[in-house]
Amino acid sequence: MEAAEEVKLEKKAKKQSPWSIARRKLWHNKLAMISLTFLVVITAMAYMAPWITGYDPGRVDIMSRNLQPGEGHLLGTDSSGRDIWTLLMYGARTSLTIGFVATFAVIMIATVIGSTAGYFGGWVDSVLMRFTDFVMNFPFLVFVIVLASIFRDAGIWALIIVLSVLSWTGAARVVRSKVMSEKENEYVMAATSIGGTPFKVIRKHILPNVMTTIIVQATLLLAVMIVAETALSFLGFGVPSGTPSWGNMMTEARDPNVIRTQWWVWIPPGLAITFTILSINFIGEGIKDAFNPRSAR
Amino acid sequence: MLIYTLRRILTMIPILFLVSIVVFTLALAMPGDALSGQINPADSSPEYIEEMREELGLNDPVYVQYGRWISDIVQWDFGRSFTHRMDVTELIGTRLPNTILLSVMSLVITYILAFFMGRYAGRNPYTKGDYTIQGVNYLMLAIPSFVAALFAIFIFAFQLGWFPATGSVGSGLETGSLAYWGSKLYHTFLPALVLGMLVTASYTQFLRNDIIESAQKDYVRTARAKGTSENEIYNKHILRNSIIPIVTLFGFDIASIIGGAVIIETIFSYRGIGELLVSSISNRDSAVTMAIFLMLSIATLLGNLLADLLYGIIDPRIRME
Repeated sequence: MEAAEEVKLEKKAKKQSPWSIARRKLWHNKLAMISLTFLVVITAMAYMAPWITGYDPGRVDIMSRNLQPGEGHLLGTDSSGRDIWTLLMYGARTSLTIGFVATFAVIMIATVIGSTAGYFGGWVDSVLMRFTDFVMNFPFLVFVIVLASIFRDAGIWALIIVLSVLSWTGAARVVRSKVMSEKENEYVMAATSIGGTPFKVIRKHILPNVMTTIIVQATLLLAVMIVAETALSFLGFGVPSGTPSWGNMMTEARDPNVIRTQWWVWIPPGLAITFTILSINFIGEGIKDAFNPRSAR
Repeated sequence: MLIYTLRRILTMIPILFLVSIVVFTLALAMPGDALSGQINPADSSPEYIEEMREELGLNDPVYVQYGRWISDIVQWDFGRSFTHRMDVTELIGTRLPNTILLSVMSLVITYILAFFMGRYAGRNPYTKGDYTIQGVNYLMLAIPSFVAALFAIFIFAFQLGWFPATGSVGSGLETGSLAYWGSKLYHTFLPALVLGMLVTASYTQFLRNDIIESAQKDYVRTARAKGTSENEIYNKHILRNSIIPIVTLFGFDIASIIGGAVIIETIFSYRGIGELLVSSISNRDSAVTMAIFLMLSIATLLGNLLADLLYGIIDPRIRME
């Protein structure tokens, strides 16, 4: 009997890895779970748009311009007669894809630069951090607008590159400081002493311990990237105007008359962006909280 | 502190130089140059275009062009805008006061709102009022400024009719008169409110958390023990400590306002620097674009420097680094 209980306890103790604790905490965080569900549903709708709507997002229909929401067009149509509900889903695809890909790219750059600077220290660190400070010193949005206007006709991949090249600095600094403190631990010395190359030590031993920081940074960045894309497209410096995106959909609202009389053109994408960012923020807070050993729950 | 300040200012010089090179390179890469906007390629002969290019020095090696540009700037000559038909310095001079007014007003609104909301939420944590403020905060952090601007115009300008939807001043008013300034402030309020939203949310949050944390500290308990009134404890003892860190962020505010102003001014058709930048890029008015791009980069640089210096005053350990 006693032995069985001991085994049980042991099992329980084994289960309590930081990851499983965090997963359980996150699972019990209602706000984060609702947000995650919302984000998953939006993403699913975005990529399954052709099966959900019968309209073609690119088709211009002169006969049904500026229609109010109603039969046939759930959310009305825009000035070229395109269905807003259809554009909303195809737009989500563009905006979310840019957000996810740019975030991935930024995290990659930030991790490489941050961990190299943090692990090696010395002059490598100085050079990399001075460079980071330098990039950081530019006004982000102004810089993105200027760069995007140079590559305006190059499509969404150019936009992704421009966004990624300019926004890795904050995350790189965070990764660097985390790697620097992690490096002082004995397990790193042990790993180096048995002949681990710097690359292997960073990848196999340090990075797993920096992972939580990176994940939290990634959620923050995802929100920033989506906002940046939509704002740029809204101003006319982002996604080419033929491609539907949440920002492009709102471009028409630069005319005050559209704001006043055709609310269905800009309110749906506006709300879609806001709720997406809100849910990403809640997920981010949930993850941060889940990995915080001091937080209850 | 003096040595620290001087050292920080000296390290700015090479950075400024590099910034100017980056600005110049990007401006070269941008579509359009000083000539393309002035002549119509359709009815000018190629020989004439070539002649003009030679005359303007557009065929010179890049480093010669850079040298000429930078030496002009040092002499405060930023070239001529072909869309506005005036010197860039003059053009920026007409727009800059508007942007400064917008930024100052936005900061004032931000500080006032954050102060009252943060103080209330910090003094009454976990109450209905606190939760309401938190909810508003989350929304303000999530909604992109251009979406917020559209909603603000829709609700406050069109539905309620409280504020003008666009523009920076009413028409038909004599420059410098009281009515003129009144109209200016009236036009600036709504864009300033939206521009300061993000910062307001983060300061409110910061102030609230800091007040809640400070309320547990020993010096507060001591103050209570000697019979200080609750009001005095919060207003004098705690607030003074909690506000200092916010003051140090002033430099970063400048940087965030610069980015925000570009979007907000464009939406509100507010005749400031940001709106001018966007329209210049669209019109390929390269002299104006370069001047504003350089100006905003330097302003951001100075903002970051100011943030560092203020931080050095508050936290002496920074200076030792």
